[in-house]
Amino acid sequence: MRLHPFGLVEPESLSEALDAVTRLDGEARLVAGGTALVPMIRLGLVKPDRLVSLQRVPVLAEIRKDGPALELGAMATHADIERSRAVRDGWPLLREAVRRVATPAIRTSGTIGGNLAYAEAASDPAPALMCHDAEVRVAGPHGGRTVPISRFFRGFYEAALEPGEIVTAVRVPPPPVGARGGYIKFTSRSAEDKPLVGVAALITLDSSGRCTDIRIALGGAAPTPIRAAAAERTVRGEALTDAVARAAAEAAARDAEPLSDLMGSAEYRREMIRVWVRRLLTALRDGTR
Amino acid sequence: MNLAFTLNGRPCATQAPDHWTVLDLLRDGLSLMGTKYGCGEGVCGTCTVLADGRPIRACLVLAAHVRGRALVTVEGLESDERLDPLQTAFAERGAAQCGFCTPGIMLAAKALLLENPAPTEHEVREALSGNLCRCTGYTKIVEAVLAAAPGTR
Repeated sequence: MRLHPFGLVEPESLSEALDAVTRLDGEARLVAGGTALVPMIRLGLVKPDRLVSLQRVPVLAEIRKDGPALELGAMATHADIERSRAVRDGWPLLREAVRRVATPAIRTSGTIGGNLAYAEAASDPAPALMCHDAEVRVAGPHGGRTVPISRFFRGFYEAALEPGEIVTAVRVPPPPVGARGGYIKFTSRSAEDKPLVGVAALITLDSSGRCTDIRIALGGAAPTPIRAAAAERTVRGEALTDAVARAAAEAAARDAEPLSDLMGSAEYRREMIRVWVRRLLTALRDGTR
Repeated sequence: MNLAFTLNGRPCATQAPDHWTVLDLLRDGLSLMGTKYGCGEGVCGTCTVLADGRPIRACLVLAAHVRGRALVTVEGLESDERLDPLQTAFAERGAAQCGFCTPGIMLAAKALLLENPAPTEHEVREALSGNLCRCTGYTKIVEAVLAAAPGTR
């Protein structure tokens, strides 16, 4: 079965790409790896007249250190990020999350910029990036801007991108010194599925076991990826006892606004948030993951 | 559009409509029928081929996006009329039943062995996590991949 026909534009620089998306003849869509867009075209959910491919814009695929931060070009694939030396050495939570995206062949093609622009609630990398307070770099017809990832997801499959704007990079600050991180992906059907619920956390404990810094973010828990702010408040400044972990998990479940879909009901999702936030926090405390 | 890439070790220059995927190009443009059309959405894995040694879904990747890359399909696994060790292991161990998933599974396994010549059983299962087989239950497939691994043979 063929895709609904479209014309393909293959710009070789960012400015050419910006020109190509803002030209007004018919509907244009940006395509990076195509792992999300091609199935949508196949299923008839979108019928673009024109695709603007970012594959030949060279700077977009770079992964590099920039001072203390990691700069991921938007076209860096999950497989590239997984294999990056810099990521392996300094951003283990991010590495753990991208390794859980779908299957090896999807990770070869799927990109970090595409994943974020798709703005799906059940993204694997998004919660890890939220824990790192990452920033999304965006280029548009009127210049560039930087959007904190906490404000990048505007709604269900809706990113804070204006027409004609392109995600160019993601800037990822390092984890706090001494922080422990982990990502738990709970799937209800098969291991390579999207997460029913994904929980990422970065936690820093002082020598007495008191929590000095905590970031918890959730996928599949609301119409967009979210930070679990109430859960963080429950843990921050406290010794991470079983009771505190349980209270944090309760707070995360209470704050969540899960949706029902084929993977599970909203009620089941809320229950799984309760379970997996608690398990991740105690596992990070005990050093068992 | 014009396309030039390497296909199973040989240069290939051809043309394709803008909206073709790699799978359209292989099957309809180049008459290589070893790569199968399964779900068309990247889920089942039977259209898996290699691009620069890594597995891709031929049904999801636009043909334009393999320009300049080295593609390997199931037709390119054998060399000089000798089967790849994976093909031999699959045949000897009966690791195929209906065979529809087999080309994709062999290419996914090939990608693993190129990067990791001595995988554990868990690593094999992880590498094949995107390839559905509805006949076998996977046991013989996993055994065949382990048997073909150059680091453990």
